[in-house]
Amino acid sequence: MNSPQRLLVRSLLAAGALAALSGCATNVNTVERAQPQATPDFVADKRVVTDNTLARTVRVNAINQATVSGNLLKVQATLENLKNNPRNIRYKFEWIDQSGMAVNSPTETWKTLMLQGRETTMISTVAINPRAVDFVLKLSEYKE
Amino acid sequence: MTTSSSLKTALVAAVLAPVALVFTGCSSNQVRNVDSKGPQALNTSGINSQDWANAADQLVGSLLSSGALDKVPNPPAILAVDRIINNTQAQVDTDLLIKKIRVALSQTGKVAITNTMGLGERAVVASEAAELDELTTGKKAKLSTPAYTLYAKLIQQSDRINSVTQNTYSFQMSLISVKSGLTVWEDEREIAKQSKKAVMGW
Repeated sequence: MNSPQRLLVRSLLAAGALAALSGCATNVNTVERAQPQATPDFVADKRVVTDNTLARTVRVNAINQATVSGNLLKVQATLENLKNNPRNIRYKFEWIDQSGMAVNSPTETWKTLMLQGRETTMISTVAINPRAVDFVLKLSEYKE
Repeated sequence: MTTSSSLKTALVAAVLAPVALVFTGCSSNQVRNVDSKGPQALNTSGINSQDWANAADQLVGSLLSSGALDKVPNPPAILAVDRIINNTQAQVDTDLLIKKIRVALSQTGKVAITNTMGLGERAVVASEAAELDELTTGKKAKLSTPAYTLYAKLIQQSDRINSVTQNTYSFQMSLISVKSGLTVWEDEREIAKQSKKAVMGW
């Protein structure tokens, strides 16, 4: 290998290493109990994907539910950033009653969430109306 | 008129027509309706409609999850809204937060909000109506004593490094038991917003 070629290979390797390092810079490492004590009530979910890019970026790992304050439904979704870079998304929970009608709430809104690289986080909400029995979680890319 | 002159006129017209269209477009006032809590809502360095709803949602969720409102012997728990202190730089109507919380809590059926004391929006009218009722019926009005009072405070902290400004808004809320005077629930939610000043000044 002659000198210019060697220089080119070295430059490419250096650039690759730099890109890899900068990509990992925001990733999140976690430590948790090996045998979790919690026994979540997981919800079997149905997913409709219309944005494949988003689906490849942020994954909903699980959804679990609980009842709070006697008769109010609380749901929690576990989201994971599948990429090495921070990602911004928007999400919104909507509630539905036994008849399939939407249960509106003054606090229902699109919220923004930033996930660090490879981070897993939980988002949750409480239904403010005891009539709410079902929910829809909407996810969308957040472009500034 | 010669052929070259006609061509020149046509060329000038072709250039001027789009320019005229652009200026017409700029001068027209374009208005569209957007969902105040949707993705198209303007995101400013101040507290916008989404931030109010977000803070209210998180605080209500925290309050309901705590179970603090379930400890009254005769539900629904009667709640009086106390002072809302606004320590932000913005002159905002704190009902943007409190009204959402009041509506949300009322919808749960676990809370009845009294309007005869505190910051009830119709407190004056409600009190006058109670007095009038006393006068006309000759009976002393039987008002329910609140079980809880709700107190809130909004705080703004501004930090700046070079051209980046960060405004952190804290929404603090406490639920106090009237009988014991103890805080039975309190929480704080923060929303931080960063804005970058443009390099060019226009």
